[in-house]
Amino acid sequence: MSGPARIRSEAVAAWHAFVRRRTAVFFTFFFPVILILIFAVLVGTNPGGGGLFAEPPGYYLPGYLAVVVLFTPLSRVGSTVARHREGNRFEKLATTPLSRAEWLLAHTLVNVLIIGIAALLILGLLTLATDAALALGPANLAVVAAFTALAVALFCGLGAILGSTADSQDGVIAASNGIALPLLFLSETFVTPALLPAWFRPAMNVSPLTYFARGVRQLTFSGGPVAGELAVLAALAVAFFAAGAYAIPETD
Amino acid sequence: MTDAIVAEEVRRTYGDTAALAGVSLSVADGEVFALIGPNGAGKTTLVRALTGTTDLDSGTVSVLGERPHEVERSRLGLLPQSFDPPERLTARELVAYYAGLYDDARDPDAVLAEVGLDAADDTRYENLSGGQRRRTCVGTALVNDPDVLFLDEPTTGIDPAGRRALWGLIEDLAAGGTTVFLTTHYMAEAERLADRVGLLGGGELVAVGSPAELVADHAGRSRLVVEFAAPDESADTLDGSDAAAALADGFDAEPTDAGLVVRGVDPEGIGAVVAALDDRGVAYDALTWKEPDLEDVFLRLTDRTVGDDDADRVGGPTDAVLAGGDR
Repeated sequence: MSGPARIRSEAVAAWHAFVRRRTAVFFTFFFPVILILIFAVLVGTNPGGGGLFAEPPGYYLPGYLAVVVLFTPLSRVGSTVARHREGNRFEKLATTPLSRAEWLLAHTLVNVLIIGIAALLILGLLTLATDAALALGPANLAVVAAFTALAVALFCGLGAILGSTADSQDGVIAASNGIALPLLFLSETFVTPALLPAWFRPAMNVSPLTYFARGVRQLTFSGGPVAGELAVLAALAVAFFAAGAYAIPETD
Repeated sequence: MTDAIVAEEVRRTYGDTAALAGVSLSVADGEVFALIGPNGAGKTTLVRALTGTTDLDSGTVSVLGERPHEVERSRLGLLPQSFDPPERLTARELVAYYAGLYDDARDPDAVLAEVGLDAADDTRYENLSGGQRRRTCVGTALVNDPDVLFLDEPTTGIDPAGRRALWGLIEDLAAGGTTVFLTTHYMAEAERLADRVGLLGGGELVAVGSPAELVADHAGRSRLVVEFAAPDESADTLDGSDAAAALADGFDAEPTDAGLVVRGVDPEGIGAVVAALDDRGVAYDALTWKEPDLEDVFLRLTDRTVGDDDADRVGGPTDAVLAGGDR
């Protein structure tokens, strides 16, 4: 049996384990809905008015997508790794042919599917509930999907690192929140660079999420080349995925 | 016969605690080896050392002639001690999931039938009883038909009937040539299944041998426990003075909290004990005879005193309550 068959078996088990957690399923998809309802509909935007949400609605699509692309894999994979450690599942898997990279790839694929559905929900709601002007042709959507998949892989890798180093599921959740919150607001998602001090702006280039936000925004809203952002994001995704796979424990 | 498992001077410490303090052992191909020992003796750490799932401080381990990490994984099967698989999957899905990780796996339904779960195969793991859960976990260790099977307390939480069914399954695997390394707290399990038993204490292998050898070398002699009827009304017999005096000539008798313990009495010699008690007019409530077994080995070699254990040991599988009556 080949690696793909092992990955499929792991992914199917992970998918079943997810969809049978009704609370997790509900809030995974309720989260983007309420996000759009609060920020895009209730708060709205005030183009040219200054402060937060002063850009047109379409500007914030990368921000809404970033929320699910960042938080969901980070917390899901992190807590899954912690749960596996607590249940000695990695001890068992270490004696099977499934490698750590295959395990992480299987869970990444499940997360790509889940977050892909959530992203479509966001796109649909934003289009229906606001007058956002978005360039959403098939080619653009395909590249947005590539950005999304790469970012999910990246944050699955980071989640695996968190899950492997934190001492409990609670610790993983606290750590993922502590990492995700600053990343979310300092990566050209909701807060424009102009609102930040000039000396801080170069630091935004350190955040992997910045390349996701820039790329998706250039594709869907502002226009411009995205190859650079895609390449950087792909390189970071490979690096974080490899680090995450390496961090997954094979021993106690 | 070649060795399927070899460990040499294996040491593993956690902080200041030496879980394994230089353990050496070998398990022959096709052998069933049972590891017994008190809680915290290092049994699970040794299983992890043998399966390559803990980092050794020193020492070497080989399984099927290779280091554990280098063994073809489809040849190994492992049931960890505290194993908690995805609980939202059914028993069949769980076994099928692990089967899907191997090139050549067994039919999950056949595995479930073997562990006695064919009737509960569509029940989610979270809704199974403790014993059913453990049997499902045993099934996940069997799906790849391993050459070497590590079972860390496989029957914990399983009822006696289920336990015996699993014993039969392990016996069948052994008969088919599978090398089995298991840990257990059930002495009857080790005695029935194992070709050899190792007793681990304080991170060291205290004794190794066949159950019969260990019993012969370490278990001591048989015991006849004379229990008295109304201890608060017959203080003199409670402390055993009358009975001990009655048996002073020709018997090795010692008063204990559980009654008078007479050691080294064969079943044929019980009548002489009864006659001696009758001659002295000593009233007793029951006589319980017990032949030495692996539990005695365990207790003796783990520094538990026999006197402490007498009260706990009445009614064991090799006990025989011979007589009762308040005369």
